[in-house]
Amino acid sequence: MEESNSPTPDARGAAQAADLLVTVAATLNERLAFTAEELARSQALLREASSELMTAFRGAADRLVAAQKDETASAPRNVEYEVVLDHLYRAVQHLQSHDLVNQLIDAQKLRVDKMREKLGEAISLSKPPVNDPAQAEQWIQRSRAMLDCIVAGIQQIDDDARHTKSDKKHAGSVDLF
Amino acid sequence: MKTILAVDDSATMREMVAFVLESAGYRVIEAEDGAQGLDRATTTSCDLVITDQNMPNMDGLTLVRSLRELRDYKNVPILLLTTESSDAMKAQGRAAGATGWLVKPFDPATLLEVVQKVLR
Repeated sequence: MEESNSPTPDARGAAQAADLLVTVAATLNERLAFTAEELARSQALLREASSELMTAFRGAADRLVAAQKDETASAPRNVEYEVVLDHLYRAVQHLQSHDLVNQLIDAQKLRVDKMREKLGEAISLSKPPVNDPAQAEQWIQRSRAMLDCIVAGIQQIDDDARHTKSDKKHAGSVDLF
Repeated sequence: MKTILAVDDSATMREMVAFVLESAGYRVIEAEDGAQGLDRATTTSCDLVITDQNMPNMDGLTLVRSLRELRDYKNVPILLLTTESSDAMKAQGRAAGATGWLVKPFDPATLLEVVQKVLR
């Protein structure tokens, strides 16, 4: 008896679902590429601003430390010195935030890149034609492989997020053992 | 003059820590990761070590453990200065032999208070 090659309704449905999955993965990958660009642009702006602030800070800090080294025991410390030091101490706190935000953006960029890599991998799984398009099971297997790849990417992102978590509530806290 | 080793892979953070400590009269030497920190600590006698946790090559906890194995650093205070704030991480720090745990971003006045306290 001759075998029919025309797809069953099940196979047609599975093929449509597989196509939809490819479209979703490709669209998501495009959006993530846009996000990666925006993150890189934000980071470049922040780096530039941080660099300018650091130059200004360094100039003031160096002069202050040099002035302190020149002090003699008999010369009372200038009141202005304390005021400037207080301002610089406040700057220290905010400059650290710039630095920490930069690190957070780095971590986000890494996550976006990893997810894009996984989505690209998933999309590449859809490239080779299925052996027998009339078999629903083959489309389902391909979709499952793509989904497994995407889920692995999401899990990796979750693991990385746990490792780089910083908690604003505890910022500045001290524990002495 | 007391010498303090500041270990952090961020040049900005090292600079901030160094400025605050130098403005209070301490001498500061810097290292950009745990491995370099260990090297600096063995070539220069330090009265206090302040280290970040997440760094390339060698992290802060490994640095603490390595320093505690050295005779000269058995009793030298070591502070972790990091964005990590979980109790589990702090427990690891304590077990490794750290003296204290400070969460970034630090307040300069608080850092100086803690430094004075542990150096007493």
